Amino acid sequence: MTAAIVTGAAGAIGTAIARGFAAGGRAVVCVDRDDRVVRLADELPHAVPCVTDLADADAPDAVAEAAARAGGAAVLVNNAGITRDGRAPKLDADDFRLVVRVNLVAPLRLAEELAPQLADGGTIINIASRAALGNFGQANYVAAKAGLVGATRALALSLAPRLRVNAVAPGLVETPMTQAMPPDVYGKLVARVPAGRAAEPAEVADVVRYLASDAASYVTGQTLFVCGGRSVAG
Amino acid sequence: MLLFDATDGIGVDGLEDALTRAFEVIRRALDNGEAVVVSLDDRHVQGLGTTGQVAYVHGLVGLVRALAIEGHKPGWHVVALSSTPDVEPSERLRWFEHLGRPGPASGGLVRLGGEHLGRVPV
Repeated sequence: MTAAIVTGAAGAIGTAIARGFAAGGRAVVCVDRDDRVVRLADELPHAVPCVTDLADADAPDAVAEAAARAGGAAVLVNNAGITRDGRAPKLDADDFRLVVRVNLVAPLRLAEELAPQLADGGTIINIASRAALGNFGQANYVAAKAGLVGATRALALSLAPRLRVNAVAPGLVETPMTQAMPPDVYGKLVARVPAGRAAEPAEVADVVRYLASDAASYVTGQTLFVCGGRSVAG
Repeated sequence: MLLFDATDGIGVDGLEDALTRAFEVIRRALDNGEAVVVSLDDRHVQGLGTTGQVAYVHGLVGLVRALAIEGHKPGWHVVALSSTPDVEPSERLRWFEHLGRPGPASGGLVRLGGEHLGRVPV
């Protein structure tokens, strides 16, 4: 089975996605600027690590080379992302720029450069966010993720019928970042989720695996919200 | 009122500059107490066009939403208006003037022309 490329594989969601693909028998190219992906790749069968900073212009070449070492890829999961939160009046323009570069420009560069190399019938899955619908103190992140949702539509149209392109938009997910929140802040966020809890990273990974599978062979250009109902709550 | 017209011809490599500039220009206007209307080509909102252009336009829609949420207390008014080429310029102007008046539409996307009907909403 051809490989799945997972960016941001050292993070909680990325690691869960990589482990999910590996459990399904797929080779995984684990991409991250954090060299913990080397250890992750060591743990997984047929995994290839790729330590690169996606904000760098030559990152797509490094990822393509790693994919070739894995024997070729059929799946690209654009999961890597960063936040630089701040109230809009004080939000630094450089922080705005960096968030757009990593969360929007980098995945689109990867998609454009790797799409010709993905196997026929392959798929690109962009990890967007429920925040694309709007969030306080995240003008940069919201703009970048909304842009990624839109780009998913454009890519789906331009790459059909050879490749499918979809997005997954997680809401609140249990990660080291959310676990470090003050309990009252975390409690307020959970209270807005109809499911009454944050998602486990594996619950996001399961949806990614679904979209990469033949079960989703007629699904393209869509954004699937994995947010416990938060996107339809008041 | 600031009428922010989305630039055409944005490629993936131009996204960073274009969205950052949009943020700075729109924020400055809101800080100065101006209402802001962001003008978009509805075909790009639908997802039609180059990847970079569609990402830019959707990024602007997200920016409008985020700034409206943050601007609730200070009373910022920022809204997006998209239209298809067949919409008469006079009709677009009428909507710009209407949406440029502070009111409850802040954060919204108003779409003129019927091409978006039957497609997944944005």
